[in-house]
Amino acid sequence: ADKTLKASHQWPGGKGDVRDEMVQIIAREIGNAGVGLEVQVYPGASLFKPRDQWGALSKGQLDIAAFPLDYASGRVPQFSATLMPGLVRNHDRAKRMNDSDFMADIKALIEENDVVVVSDAWLAGAFASKQNCITDPESIKGQVTRAAGPAFEQMLADAGASIASMPSSEIYSAMQTGVLDATNTSSGSFVSYRLYEQVKCLTAPGANALWFMYEPILMSKKTWDGLTKEQQDAVMAAGQKAEDYFFEEAKKIDQKMIDTFKENGVEVVEMSGDDYNAWLEVAKKSSYANFEKDVPGGKELIEKALAVE
Amino acid sequence: MQTYIRVVSAVSRAFGIFSMLLLAAAVLVVSQMIFVRYVLNGSTIWQTEFVIYAVIAATLLGSPAVLIDRGHVGVDLLPEAMHGRGRLVLQIIAGVASLAFCAVLAWSGWVYFHEALTRGWKTATVWALPLWIPLLPMPVGIGLLCLQYVAELMKLANPRLGGRPA
Amino acid sequence: MTTLTMGLLVLGALLGLLATGMPIAFALGFVSIGALVLTDGFGALDIVGETFFGGLDSFALVSIPMFILMGSAVASSPAGKDLYIALDRWLNRVPGGLVLSNIGACSIFAALSGSSPATCAAIGKMGIPEMVDRGYPKSIAAGSIAAGGTLGILIPPSVTMIVYGIATETSIGRLFIAGLLPGLLLTVLFMIWTLISCRLAGYSFEQMAQRFTFKERFQALPRVLPFLLIIAGILYVLYGGVATPSEAAGAGALFCIVLVIVIYRIFRPGPLIEVFRSSLRESVMIMMIIGASELFAFTLSSMFITQSIAGWIGDLDVNRWVLMALINVFLLFAGFFLPPVAVILMTAPILLPIITQAGFDPYWFAVILTINMEIGLITPPVGLNLYVINGIAPDIPLQTILRGSLPYVLCMVVGIVILCIFPEIVTWLPTALMGPGG
Ligand code: NA
Ligand code: NA
Repeated sequence: ADKTLKASHQWPGGKGDVRDEMVQIIAREIGNAGVGLEVQVYPGASLFKPRDQWGALSKGQLDIAAFPLDYASGRVPQFSATLMPGLVRNHDRAKRMNDSDFMADIKALIEENDVVVVSDAWLAGAFASKQNCITDPESIKGQVTRAAGPAFEQMLADAGASIASMPSSEIYSAMQTGVLDATNTSSGSFVSYRLYEQVKCLTAPGANALWFMYEPILMSKKTWDGLTKEQQDAVMAAGQKAEDYFFEEAKKIDQKMIDTFKENGVEVVEMSGDDYNAWLEVAKKSSYANFEKDVPGGKELIEKALAVE
Repeated sequence: MQTYIRVVSAVSRAFGIFSMLLLAAAVLVVSQMIFVRYVLNGSTIWQTEFVIYAVIAATLLGSPAVLIDRGHVGVDLLPEAMHGRGRLVLQIIAGVASLAFCAVLAWSGWVYFHEALTRGWKTATVWALPLWIPLLPMPVGIGLLCLQYVAELMKLANPRLGGRPA
Repeated sequence: MTTLTMGLLVLGALLGLLATGMPIAFALGFVSIGALVLTDGFGALDIVGETFFGGLDSFALVSIPMFILMGSAVASSPAGKDLYIALDRWLNRVPGGLVLSNIGACSIFAALSGSSPATCAAIGKMGIPEMVDRGYPKSIAAGSIAAGGTLGILIPPSVTMIVYGIATETSIGRLFIAGLLPGLLLTVLFMIWTLISCRLAGYSFEQMAQRFTFKERFQALPRVLPFLLIIAGILYVLYGGVATPSEAAGAGALFCIVLVIVIYRIFRPGPLIEVFRSSLRESVMIMMIIGASELFAFTLSSMFITQSIAGWIGDLDVNRWVLMALINVFLLFAGFFLPPVAVILMTAPILLPIITQAGFDPYWFAVILTINMEIGLITPPVGLNLYVINGIAPDIPLQTILRGSLPYVLCMVVGIVILCIFPEIVTWLPTALMGPGG
């Protein structure tokens, strides 16, 4: 009989979400490979809560997950480098990053925690505000902002924003009531939470994006070790297919966000090279500095990431 | 047996009072947070997590005291309708099954706590609180809940030891 | 064995354990670990602690003990009595003024408390004896308060709406406001039925009407006003852009505690400790059910039972209103036995995708679900409000309470039908205040 693997992620299933599609591709490809493996997909956090997936993967309670790696940064502090402001900049550089020393270090840490990377994926994100266009650090001063992840919070606080934390499902109503002035999150979430109904200006990821998050497809090492060589090859081949698909789609997600916001009369801008560098200066003395101070090997990681062409 | 019941119940009550203080602290911290953010327009770092973990701790540490007060709601239709032996059997099944679950939860909570402590896990926030601190109430509170359940079962076996069992 | 058979086995085991009277939280937990061990081996127990803790680890949940504290603080004071006395002085010329005042007071108090038993207790403690003294039939006195008390979870704030919001990832702020007009609708329906039933019982209002001067009327206001101000304040905090629901809950709790201390001069620690004790009791009960439900949901999903049930209902291919009727019957049945929070946690994640697929609004459905849960609170065999009334008015037999409250079940069913015909009663206010969607 076929062995059934459990694959989990937090996005809606069957609604065209790119990360769901990646997992579905892997499930399909592995199933079609005829190596005695079947994959059961649990979308929409229907099995594990998003953050609980990491522990389950390490322990072998979960086989496959599409997982924003920063969620595990409480356990492996180096992982916050994968949601560090300004470290990636754009999609083409993200692709070059995958084969860098920086990612080699990150992947080694992933394996040390009994997890294996099946596909790489970097998601871009945007800024938006009800008041003005967020371009340089000066432009966010005094605005109540929700940020995804502590590294962003530190940088934004240093730029003079006031940080509010809330689940992403509350962003819309918090903006509506005025609790929140600005937010940054992934391009996909900007569309799915209909934030175009609330904001005045969107700062889209273009050549100079601050927000990138590493959201790879992972497999439990325990599961991996239990597979035959043939099965492992099938998994990796499926992973490559999903990764190729993702790179094709990644820029389309951003474009869909831009189109949707423009259709709804929202002004759409991008950061200039100067804006980007100004933010990088803020990040260097806030989030990067804290990361280098608190995380073993943090300094080297940042250097290796910045060294990527 | 009587001493055991008395001691465990006293500890449970003490933890119950501590839980009330945690609730009160949570109320004050939320109010302080609103003040900082909307009046002083400042950022809040630790408040959200503090409040979440205070409420969880109040729940876990307060659960033994709530058991004494029979506050964990159940559907006691059938036991109420029965008398004598039948009711006793049902109550023993209920008590033993509850104890079994609580024991697993306390043990599993201990394993989780121990991992967080030895591996230095933290919360993935700016505050970066060591994770073992919010996890500690799980083995402690639910462990005490197990001891309290044993006491309740003793009362069941020997009604003279006091009160109706949970 | 098919997944549906396994699902039936799990359900059977759960019902069997619940029948022994064991706490719902522990029954859910026991069935979960049993099923996990049987399907995945003992290794599965590794994640019990993490899953339970993960179920509680949410800022939105913080508002549950806060809204309970808020209601409990006000309930500990004579505010409930003052509330209906003030209403009575203003409504005394209206036939049946006193019952109307009591239901109205329930409805106002519901805006100060997230839970139904608290609402019931706060108004009923003074309201029921007063009604009985003035010659109202006991069944009507008890029934109207039992039913009025259920408004606690429909009129915002609401503990069950918070749980629904978390389970379905919908906005709690929007859910709250969605419950307001339906809450007022039920209030009016309750009042209408009460007047009718008094007439049917041959009760003559005119003889009992007391007269109050305008001086007496205004004298009753000062103690009520602060609580109306708190309600206005919370609404402002929630919808005026000051804070999120959890934050508003904390501030509301603090204000209510301070106000009760100041207005009613409760400086002794005794009553205050009692406020915290009763709040702890109710919130621990709810939070433990939430943690255990997380484990139960994980178990069902891991065994693919949830998905199979959802698929099965989805494949039924019936008219959407037939589907809605079936879901209502199911919820009603679940509500007979289980408290609202448990029902919502176990069913909302399964039902919501089906509901939205069929073209129903998730906020509208939250209101329908809540009204079903309200019915559960006043129906046997497990009706929390019935027991609360029994506790505060021990001289009224349970049967009499039951006889008085069952007609209100029909009022709520009528309410559901009205909301099905005019869903705008739910959706209009959120849209007007917060814009479309969200
Ligand atoms: Na309420
Ligand atoms: Na019921």
